[in-house]
Amino acid sequence: MRIRDLRCVVLAAVVAVAALSGSPLTAQAPAGQGFTPAKTAAGHPDLQGVWRAWNLAKYDLEAHGAKPGVPAGLGFVVDPADGKIPYQPAARKRRAENYAGTKDPDPWKNADPLVKCYLPGVPRITYIGWPFQIIQAADIVTISYEWSHKKRLIPVTKVAPPPDPEDVNNWNGVPRGRWEGNTLVVDNTNFNGYAWFDMAGNFSSPALKVVERYTLLGPDTLQYEATMTDPKVYTRPWTIRMQLQRQKDVGILDYECTAMLDELGIHHTWPREFEPPEF
Amino acid sequence: MSMRGRFLLSVTTALFLAALITVPAAGQAAGQAGRGGGAGAEGGRGGGRGAAVPPAGPIPRRADGKPDFTGRWDGSGGVLHNTVILEEHPGGFGIQAGGTLVVDPKDGTIPYQPWALAERNRRREDANGYEDQVGHCEFYEIARLASFAFDMMHSGPQVVINHTQHITRVIDTSRREHLPQSIRLWLGDPIGRWEGDTLVVDTTNLNGKGRMALGGDFYSADAHLVERFAMKDSNTINWTLTVTDPKVFARPWTMTSHDPMKRLAPAANFDGEDTCHEGNVDLVHLKNVYDQAHGNGGAARWPPVYPQGPATGGTR
Repeated sequence: MRIRDLRCVVLAAVVAVAALSGSPLTAQAPAGQGFTPAKTAAGHPDLQGVWRAWNLAKYDLEAHGAKPGVPAGLGFVVDPADGKIPYQPAARKRRAENYAGTKDPDPWKNADPLVKCYLPGVPRITYIGWPFQIIQAADIVTISYEWSHKKRLIPVTKVAPPPDPEDVNNWNGVPRGRWEGNTLVVDNTNFNGYAWFDMAGNFSSPALKVVERYTLLGPDTLQYEATMTDPKVYTRPWTIRMQLQRQKDVGILDYECTAMLDELGIHHTWPREFEPPEF
Repeated sequence: MSMRGRFLLSVTTALFLAALITVPAAGQAAGQAGRGGGAGAEGGRGGGRGAAVPPAGPIPRRADGKPDFTGRWDGSGGVLHNTVILEEHPGGFGIQAGGTLVVDPKDGTIPYQPWALAERNRRREDANGYEDQVGHCEFYEIARLASFAFDMMHSGPQVVINHTQHITRVIDTSRREHLPQSIRLWLGDPIGRWEGDTLVVDTTNLNGKGRMALGGDFYSADAHLVERFAMKDSNTINWTLTVTDPKVFARPWTMTSHDPMKRLAPAANFDGEDTCHEGNVDLVHLKNVYDQAHGNGGAARWPPVYPQGPATGGTR
């Protein structure tokens, strides 16, 4: 076996372990037990439709007081039980530096990559406030996001191992999907480490692995869970959970982030300089 | 400057933008700009060449008897004609010569009103290439999307087209009324209906900010677009686009793709990511050209205010 193939196998094993170790709360009380979703023609739970997070997660995944332009609110971290992201000490310091860098209105000087309209990453793209549509074909789930016309194509059958992270590293990672009962589970690997989780500076390294779980709780309520594992930045895996609401009145429209910069007269011609990730 | 001179200049703009639009397979490797972004084009990798497509057979059908468009399609003929220039044009400077894609009028020329032709030619100038939304990694226009392979699928009454650069179009065949006029969209509001084995897509509510091609072709926000996806057999779709816009054109006109849209083998994977904006190192060059041509007024002219033509003929 070539070394590269071996790496794929190791990576797949790591993903599998991450999947097993994640979501302890869900394991105790499977979500969506009381609701049986309709099935697609392929026999999969039908999660299709337009969904939206109407919550404060985009500001800060942890409980927080009010800040300029930011309402106070509870957090979304359900594991650990204290609701805090389990940072290692150096990473916690880095998070604070990240947030301190978010005060400049000039996109080029602002530390938050989203202010530059860079890809939000996973899971942030789920709850930045714009809706997304889930479209299920037999072998692939498309999630089309209104924000800057992004999308993710998630294979759910005939799933190959993810590519070598040295060959492919993405802002949104590389997704691999599967069905667990009525839950769509998406294992995400191959991150480039540049995306943040929210406007509070929460972050990861390229070693990040994200396991997302999409479960219908009722006809118009979709539970979203994501478990983050990154031994370079956190002391242990951590999990967020929130409910997304079905948007019935209109489909996906458009929000072209860079065009909004254009409208403001901001030229997005800054140099594309990406320092290697610190962690 | 003569029109020919202008055209040659515009070709250099084309080369800048060609670096952005690129060929999917080559993009990721060729355009890296640090780890965070490159000029790669997302979309299916592999498949297509080498992978087998079954021979053409009868039209595949869904449970309701309508054609099943599920699959990967390409009408570009392997070249980027649609993204460069829609009418007959000479080759050179990296652009392949091409015939017109306009099938009506018969002379193959887009029937612009005089003011609009002047505006099209202004946009075509090299100095104004910075105004092209594709250079900013913003939405390709519908005609322009026909130059790239795309995946189609069905979701209930919706026909979904997964285009290049993360662009998705969701075409509802159950809706009858367009969105309120106050909602304006880059790719408009598409409503589908069936005429036999043809999917007819009716689009309004455009925002008028897109270009149909690098060569500056455009319509206004009041345009009414009708696409026809006519399935001929299991491997062939004939596609046409009819543009009606009394504000810009003397009469409706119709274009098609370079080739009939042919079925490709399914993509090998979708692991690539479009990072056009994250790696957009070319935009600054387009802006430099723009600033040089317009002096210090370059920035002051931004964002551009496009001529709207005579006040007659509009529907809004």
